[in-house]
Amino acid sequence: MTNFLNWIENKFMPPLAKLAEQKHLKAVRDGVISTLSLIIIGCFFLVIGNPPIQSWADAIAPYVNQITIPFRITTGLMSLYAAYGMGYSLAKSYKLDGVSGGVLSLATFLMLTIPLNVDASLPEGEGIGWVLPMGNLGGSGMFSAILAMIFAVEVLRFFKEKKMMITMPEQVPESVARSFEALIPGAFVIIVVWVIRVLLGFDINSMLMSIFSPLNNILGNNLIGVLLPVVLITLLWAAGVHGVSVIGSIVRPMWLVMLEANGQALIDGAQPNELPYIAPEQFYQWLVWIGGSGATLSLCALLLFAKSAYLKQVGRFSIVPALFNINEPLIFGTPIVMNPILAIPFVLAPTVTTTISYFAVKFGIVNGFSVNAPWTLPAPVGAFLSASNDWKAAALVIINIILAGIIYYPFVKVYDKKMLEEENAQEQGTEEGETVTV
Amino acid sequence: MDVLMVCSGGMSSAIVVKAIKKEADKQGIDMNIKAVGSGSVEDELKDGQYDLLLVAPQVKHQFDTFASYAKENNVPIEKVEPMGYTPIGAPKTLNLIKKYK
Repeated sequence: MTNFLNWIENKFMPPLAKLAEQKHLKAVRDGVISTLSLIIIGCFFLVIGNPPIQSWADAIAPYVNQITIPFRITTGLMSLYAAYGMGYSLAKSYKLDGVSGGVLSLATFLMLTIPLNVDASLPEGEGIGWVLPMGNLGGSGMFSAILAMIFAVEVLRFFKEKKMMITMPEQVPESVARSFEALIPGAFVIIVVWVIRVLLGFDINSMLMSIFSPLNNILGNNLIGVLLPVVLITLLWAAGVHGVSVIGSIVRPMWLVMLEANGQALIDGAQPNELPYIAPEQFYQWLVWIGGSGATLSLCALLLFAKSAYLKQVGRFSIVPALFNINEPLIFGTPIVMNPILAIPFVLAPTVTTTISYFAVKFGIVNGFSVNAPWTLPAPVGAFLSASNDWKAAALVIINIILAGIIYYPFVKVYDKKMLEEENAQEQGTEEGETVTV
Repeated sequence: MDVLMVCSGGMSSAIVVKAIKKEADKQGIDMNIKAVGSGSVEDELKDGQYDLLLVAPQVKHQFDTFASYAKENNVPIEKVEPMGYTPIGAPKTLNLIKKYK
């Protein structure tokens, strides 16, 4: 087991961590993170639009479209915001002007979407001006946004390196000079996308969706695909690396696509327990990572009753953060990192609770997840809000806490005994005894 | 002295930072310490005047990135040991900080 943990730290983690730190993926991560607060706000209106009590739901039914407009404009247009954020971040990482990169990335992304009026999808004379279909600007446009962002900023960088740009004399203010710098690469980018999308009529959006939707289906609806991030994240944590930060960098765009698809389905009238995807990030956040990665709230509760003075103390200082899903003090204090005894339940418990939760959502016993609630909420509350106000989701959280506790129990017993023996040996070894400071 | 600690979201480091500050006060050391998430560490280093950047153990895979930010701002950088990243590990991390005083 120790060998295995060493292998994880030395062989398995570095390439994954390197991938997560790759410039383009990092830009995707930072860009996507910049949209999260908007998505949380938008989802709040989804909660209001889907009240838990039928009579309330009936009462607001005529106004649902008005109530969910903030959702449509925030979460429903997430790729729009992400395109800017990602472009900004990638340009910054190349030491280019962030705003120029963001704006060009956004324009490139929008160029991929043709206004509906062009091909007579909309009758003329409606007096509504030109209309962009919002469907491509939400989650389903995420991959187009990523591609557009990479293309736009890479061209910007290439032109800058080759000095193919209009340089202004030094007297010109810097902000003006910068906007001229982006002129030639910007024109190049827009013309290329215009030729591909408009003249050749090649629909990049639908091509990318046809590539990525099978992948989304595996990660979102297939048991193996749903378990994969759980195992990878807990293994990385067992080697001491923030698993969600690494794996999330890679998978989060897909999780967000799933979340948005679920939210859209809901406002389009789908039953809350029949949403398209089982496992957007919120599925893990609320049903599996209870108390933090590794379902450590259960472990923390067990440590409170440990015989070892040290473990008891770790349990005490970790329990309050654990209620808000922060578990680093526990992970590094116990420690779980590189600890062959506790690494086993740390991987095993979430694997079991994921499997059970998967079937609970799949069979419609518990609602699907469509709301991005702040991750520091206590899990039953977060689960309730995130699964369209479903009390059964909160009940499943309690069941999962108990289950994880049962899985952790024998391992905690063994580790507690070992620690206690060490503590006793230490006390006998030193005359005055090692004092543990609080 | 002013110390900055970076973790993933700035949440767990806030807990650790609090414990370190408490320990420093106990030992009578004049020190300000602040926690940030990995997304805002670059700007924080640029805007603030820091004497040391501490990297939380769970983001050690990003160490090279942080090191490049630190170098740009001439701030020394150190990794926090796993066992130093807990409330009871605070004295250990404080000893690390004291080296830069």
